[in-house]
Amino acid sequence: MSTVPAAAPAPETASTRIGPVLIAFVIGSAVAVGLGAYGKVHDPTGQAINIAGFSSGLAAKAALSTVAMVLAVVQVITAMGLFGRIPLSGNWVGPVHRWSGRIAVAVTVPVAVHCLYALGFQTFDARVVSHSIAGCFFYGAFVCKMLILTRDDSPKWALPLLGGLVLSGLTALWMTAGLWYYLNS
Amino acid sequence: MTHRSPLVTLIGLVAAFAIMFGVNLASSAPRDSYAGGASPSAAASAPPVASVEPTPTAAATTTAATPTPTARATASQNESDFPNKIVYAGYADDDSTAIAVAILGTRAAAYLCDGSNVEAWLRGTVDGDEITLTGKRGARLEAELDDDTLEGTIEVNDEKLDFAIREAKSPAGLYRAKGSKTTIGWIVLPNGTQVGIQTTGEESSPAPELDPANPEVTVDGEQLAGEAVSGDQDV
Repeated sequence: MSTVPAAAPAPETASTRIGPVLIAFVIGSAVAVGLGAYGKVHDPTGQAINIAGFSSGLAAKAALSTVAMVLAVVQVITAMGLFGRIPLSGNWVGPVHRWSGRIAVAVTVPVAVHCLYALGFQTFDARVVSHSIAGCFFYGAFVCKMLILTRDDSPKWALPLLGGLVLSGLTALWMTAGLWYYLNS
Repeated sequence: MTHRSPLVTLIGLVAAFAIMFGVNLASSAPRDSYAGGASPSAAASAPPVASVEPTPTAAATTTAATPTPTARATASQNESDFPNKIVYAGYADDDSTAIAVAILGTRAAAYLCDGSNVEAWLRGTVDGDEITLTGKRGARLEAELDDDTLEGTIEVNDEKLDFAIREAKSPAGLYRAKGSKTTIGWIVLPNGTQVGIQTTGEESSPAPELDPANPEVTVDGEQLAGEAVSGDQDV
């Protein structure tokens, strides 16, 4: 099972289809908008489950999101190997890429749930607006990337683009919250 | 050729979200307490649509905001040193501008009002024993909890005011009414005095008197209902 289109012929439209990519974008956008709508409409409770073992909920979230960022870096490096950008090859590169990604996303779930549930979609300053938008964007992009990955007939640029967008989203999330937390405490 | 594992990953992600939301829904029912490391006994994987649990929003107008020990005891995180739900109100050091701050969990909403034409609504967060709020046109409030007094400064229209205010228990507190064109803010002080401004578009004038027990006022033929402002409100 490969996540990379095997030695594709020249990228003519005959061998790639844009339709499924567009559908994936639409679904991803729906997810992003849905998350934003939920965050705005739901009455934030101001509190949520404390993840035992950390000094505070904020510290727990910052730590988890940093773990996700580290794994994202592993993802980028393995992705570059998979696409031949760096001399990194072997049967292990693909699985490491996939699993680092899965764990990274899994680790963001408690953080995102707390954010959505306890704080909601906030707009009172630039940092929280960026974070709220990045949160919606990240999960929408991730859904889109997963959907594109189910097919082998996507254009060559689709996967690297989505990978980049997912990484950008996560980085924006981390910088507006995790990094901000470490710099301000 | 299609690959299934990305879909499996997606389904796993959705399931993880649903489980965490369910756990939160199940254990946030007892409000005013942090559920530190609670066991997710409720297997409910309820979809996060239209939360049903009673969130302490503005509807609870006459709830006394007395800080109970349980509200702070289990706070093993130092996200907030404040009681979970409390309102502070009083005059700034200039004795003419009233300030009220409503706190709910880690969120805060505040209002400054001189009763004639200077007002500002601010929103922000709680961090330990400090709060920081911002509003339009550069309004900014920073304060610290000192015992049971909220001490700090508020900057509005390039002027800085110092204040030290204390808890205002219901029916005193911060109220707001929002109509189609008019917004009214009231600060009701513990001694019963009220300071309020009604704003229609760009024009402000003193607010009509508010009876917290019967908080409906009529402005330009429109009936507006005053509601106690809670810390997480979009002011």
